[in-house]
Amino acid sequence: MTNPHGSDQPRPYADPYLAGVALGLVLLAAFVLTGRGLGASGAFATVASTVVNAASSTTAQGNPFFADHRDAGGVWSDWLVIELAGLCIGAFLSARFANRVRLEVERGAHTTVRGRLGAAAAGGAVMGVGAVLARGCTSGQALTGGALLSVGSWIFIAGAFASAYAVARMRRRAWS
Amino acid sequence: MTNTARNVLVAMTIVLAVGALIVGNPRASTSGTVDVTALARDIEHEADHVTALELAQWLRDHKSGLRVLDVRSDSEFADFHIPGAEHVALSRLASLKPAGGETIVLYSEGGAHAAQGWVLLRALGFREVYFLRGGLLDWMDDIENPVRAANRTADSAWAHQAELSRYFGGVPRVGAVPGLPSASVGAETAPAATSAVARAKRRGC
Amino acid sequence: MIAPWWETGALSPPGVLVAGLFVGIAFGACLERAGLGSAKKLIGQFTLKDMAVFKVMFTAIVTAMLGVFWLSRVGVLDLDKVYLPETFVLPQLAGGVIFGVGFALAGLCPGTSCVAAATGRGDGLAVVLGMLAGVLATGLALPTFQEFFVSTAKGGFTLSQAFGVTDGAVVFAIVALALVGFAVTSRIERWASRTST
Repeated sequence: MTNPHGSDQPRPYADPYLAGVALGLVLLAAFVLTGRGLGASGAFATVASTVVNAASSTTAQGNPFFADHRDAGGVWSDWLVIELAGLCIGAFLSARFANRVRLEVERGAHTTVRGRLGAAAAGGAVMGVGAVLARGCTSGQALTGGALLSVGSWIFIAGAFASAYAVARMRRRAWS
Repeated sequence: MTNTARNVLVAMTIVLAVGALIVGNPRASTSGTVDVTALARDIEHEADHVTALELAQWLRDHKSGLRVLDVRSDSEFADFHIPGAEHVALSRLASLKPAGGETIVLYSEGGAHAAQGWVLLRALGFREVYFLRGGLLDWMDDIENPVRAANRTADSAWAHQAELSRYFGGVPRVGAVPGLPSASVGAETAPAATSAVARAKRRGC
Repeated sequence: MIAPWWETGALSPPGVLVAGLFVGIAFGACLERAGLGSAKKLIGQFTLKDMAVFKVMFTAIVTAMLGVFWLSRVGVLDLDKVYLPETFVLPQLAGGVIFGVGFALAGLCPGTSCVAAATGRGDGLAVVLGMLAGVLATGLALPTFQEFFVSTAKGGFTLSQAFGVTDGAVVFAIVALALVGFAVTSRIERWASRTST
């Protein structure tokens, strides 16, 4: 199969509506097969619980959040962890096929690598706070809860998109 | 995506969304209404059930419009059922519609499920509906394997019961004084009936 | 009802994990194909030039939502056996706003950060590590705000219940909003690419 953009050039991304339909069907498949939707931050919670439990099991048991997410069978018996592992595999395969695998740090023209990595880590930490409070993230709450008409999920969508727009407008310069 | 493809997708989405608005409820459910006072009255006046003897008499008389419904599982029905009974699992009762002139009798192992089914059918609008009190266990005791206690006289009621029993292929016999195991006195029961009884008594309701 | 397979016993415990693996693979492939593994794409969303994130997300929600509604209606999917995330009004509002801040800073969400990391992006890895730290810290601090954490709980609470309308009405409204949103965002995209920021 020849790539009209040149054999080494990354292939173009898919049409967003088509990708959205495909994603929606994947979510639907999750409902039909397993009775639950997708997720991402939950896997992070499980990993964190495992770490805490390994460091001090009394702390883990005494804390409602970690006790909830602790899995008796270990990290790999958690559905979300397996699903996230699959996500990494699928992403890699898709990128491989489209010549999009490369080691790089994506950033705006005026941003240093260090600056970008710092913002990324900070952003990640802040998302971690938000995801714990909201019991999920864009995958677990917005996509899954949204499709199931959950009030809390739609509140999350509204809050997240509103504040993200506000902050992004302030950070325009970093990406120009 | 081409314009046609996009338009098709949008059209399909609109059709499905409008359909959802019209349909309203995504759960395929059946609802019924219950006149609680009327039901309670019927229960108190014992107008909700029939005994095994009464059902047997109805069957023998070929009561018109009579439908006997077995609400147990497929395998239980296949093992043994009251002669002439239809199999309608409890979960499928919701699909029944009342038809004039019918008399429905529900039965289950011990009667609990059948009694619950009675409430369901009354909620769906059925009028002539009863459940078999005591269920199959009573049917076994009264019809298939009736035992007259040795110290009880053979009156006309017993004669009637014995006759009904024989009509259905049962084996009426005289047993020991109540309290003692009846196996020690009396004729051997037919093997087929014993195993059916044993099977019936082993399972739950 | 033949679905959900796991709940109706058609899938064994290892089976549901295998299903999770394949669902995850498809999930990751879709996200990557759509370009959501690139922080630039997400920032394009918030600078209004590239509304792909909005389009992908809401097309996915609408597709799955319609799928769930109709599969349930025709008796294939038992809605009562599908897990509905619980609603905690204030924590999820606060969590959403906080999450949005991090989202805009990082340019990636938890899922897409793994997509980015898996395709070689160092910033994706940074987001993942940051998230772990954030979740860990918040969890450890939980006892101090536990009351807030479990406040305004409504259990499984749908928009239809909240507004006293049928599920079908909510579905229709969301589809209508999404379609309008798509039309509007296409306009915005064209406008934003003409005016420079």
